[in-house]
Amino acid sequence: MTFPLEVSELQFRYQGSETNILRGVNLKVKKGEILALVGLSGCGKTTLCYCLCGIIPHVIQGDYKGKVLINGTSASEMKLPGIATKLGIVFQDPDTQLFAPVVEDEIAFGPENLCIERDEIGKRISEVLKQVGMERYRLGSPAILSGGQKQLIALASVLSLHTEIFIFDEAMSQIDSEGKRSIKEMICQLKNLGKTIVMVEHDFENLDIADRIMVMRNGILEPYNGVLK
Amino acid sequence: MIAGENLDPRVKLIIVMCLSTMGVFIHNISVLFGILLISFLAAVIFGARVFTIVKKHKSFIYLFIAISIMQSIFSPSGASILSIKGVSILTMGGLEKGLIMMERMSVVLVSASIMTTTTTRKVIQGLVQWKIPYEVAFMTSIAIRFLPVFMEEMRDCLTAIQLRGIDLKKIPLKKKIQIYSYIFTPIVAGTFIKSQKLSMAMETRAFRAFPNRTSYLVLNMQLQDYMFITLSILLTIAVIIVSSLYC
Amino acid sequence: MEENNNIPYIKMQEAAFRYPKGDFVIENTSLTLFQNEFTAVTGPNGSGKTTLGKLIVGIVKPDCGSVKILNRDTREMTLGEIGKKVGYLFQNPERQLFSMNIREEISFPMEIRGIPKEKIKEKVDEMLETFSLTHLEGIPAFKLSRGEKQRLAIASILVNNPGFFVMDEPTTGLDAERKKDLSELISNLQDKGIGMVVISHDLPFIKQHADRTITLSGGKIIDDSR
Repeated sequence: MTFPLEVSELQFRYQGSETNILRGVNLKVKKGEILALVGLSGCGKTTLCYCLCGIIPHVIQGDYKGKVLINGTSASEMKLPGIATKLGIVFQDPDTQLFAPVVEDEIAFGPENLCIERDEIGKRISEVLKQVGMERYRLGSPAILSGGQKQLIALASVLSLHTEIFIFDEAMSQIDSEGKRSIKEMICQLKNLGKTIVMVEHDFENLDIADRIMVMRNGILEPYNGVLK
Repeated sequence: MIAGENLDPRVKLIIVMCLSTMGVFIHNISVLFGILLISFLAAVIFGARVFTIVKKHKSFIYLFIAISIMQSIFSPSGASILSIKGVSILTMGGLEKGLIMMERMSVVLVSASIMTTTTTRKVIQGLVQWKIPYEVAFMTSIAIRFLPVFMEEMRDCLTAIQLRGIDLKKIPLKKKIQIYSYIFTPIVAGTFIKSQKLSMAMETRAFRAFPNRTSYLVLNMQLQDYMFITLSILLTIAVIIVSSLYC
Repeated sequence: MEENNNIPYIKMQEAAFRYPKGDFVIENTSLTLFQNEFTAVTGPNGSGKTTLGKLIVGIVKPDCGSVKILNRDTREMTLGEIGKKVGYLFQNPERQLFSMNIREEISFPMEIRGIPKEKIKEKVDEMLETFSLTHLEGIPAFKLSRGEKQRLAIASILVNNPGFFVMDEPTTGLDAERKKDLSELISNLQDKGIGMVVISHDLPFIKQHADRTITLSGGKIIDDSR
């Protein structure tokens, strides 16, 4: 059985660092599963996210060993644009992942990069705005939206790439409770559509929607047993 | 206003360039005043809130006035208007030159306000369709988007350093320079971190996947756009020639 | 530091504020903050929490009404004078770290003010010790973790012995262990008699510490309970 996302003996050390931050991570995420990753700051959760979405090793270099398989294909052998059509990531800071003057442009950015036809782009914009419930902000500026709304637009910009796998890297940490509720609802909706989700979290209150929780400890992933250290 | 919204942003860009060019190449005080009036009129017709914009850039106006005064003092000619101890400080000719300078700078400011009647995305798209490389246009758009963020960060850093008990007004110049060099650190660090995060977000959304990219927003020039451009350029050439021959 | 009393340290009277471009962010608000209390300010994004915090500290001045720190109107005080009475921790600690060197970070304002070198060394050693930063000496400030940067910023602010401290969303980005460390730090500050205002949407954290909770919505205080 091919898992949408599979990690095998992943080890990684940043350039200039003396120790491995990832020391043999193993992971298999099922289709339609919401997997939560917890762990102390600096333990390597974000590094793992970067490995999953291909930023490591394509943008950030270092000592990389092991495999990350996206639908059975190795991420290090795929190019970033190829990965972008399979796996999307929503980062923690809404302000540094939204850069277009208008919401519509933000969502069109990904498909435009992939040379998708204009009519299809238009269709996707309408579709994903409806999915995240932000249709009326289509021609507005992302800069004036609330934090939660910005993250919904960030999610919409990833949705427009029609990916099957989603990573949320502490996407709710700068959002208020209202915003968190919207994002959690969206994550559950995605699960119901058969998407695969990995969410990295510090806030245990956000873990109620997770099917499985794993903790990053000493550079490897283990099932979470209530203790972080 | 209706006229403004329907016009392609590139037409507005050309009109601004024509007005500014006339402002630079014409030396006659009355003709320049005419150009200034036309600039005002154009800005109002296109729907720019000229007076609000001018008020917002009050400091530029003061700068213009200062430059004009300098010009009138250092380029004396003609009858003397004001002299101190026999030295002519202000002359008719100098005053005229100062006023010309003032009119010139005002034409540029007022005509530039026409660009506020269109959105950045349209201007960028217009430039891209005129074959400016997408990366250049995109970086410009990002710079515009992040300028207010950058300004806010600078303000916060300046606030934070003063809150450490440093009264900027009471310390000597040498130490003031030292303070500003300290502010450099968080600004540079902040910019570095932001650009890293931005580039990661862009890469994960397939930025530069291929040498080309499609564009969802497409600007189409209508007949009236072409007419406006042609008329503006022809009028500009005519005014400059006539003004240099007869004025 | 002022005496630890139930004195109104900061008094806001009918204060309103708007940024140059927009509508009023804070509408006619009156508020008194006491030095012996931990006051939490909460509310949804966009309710004006950060702006209220900046008004309280005097970083922005009210368009009408007044804000007084120990009976002095903030409009008559320079930021330098305010900093000696009220400390302010930005949500993003990077905005208030100015030196590559941890020691210099704490010492440079004292050097600028002409304080003698021995006194400076004494104070810096004290701060590094109190905030468990001694073992980090030699590491450039930008390589510190978020929690460590926060501690360094707090240490640098406390050099001035302010009697009051305002923190803007201090728990953002902190894991459970670091939140515990922050909790301890805040409790220590309270024990020293420093009044606290913490702006946060982290309800469990607020519940743990707050003597008083102010809830904002649309720029107005909709609840103020002890």
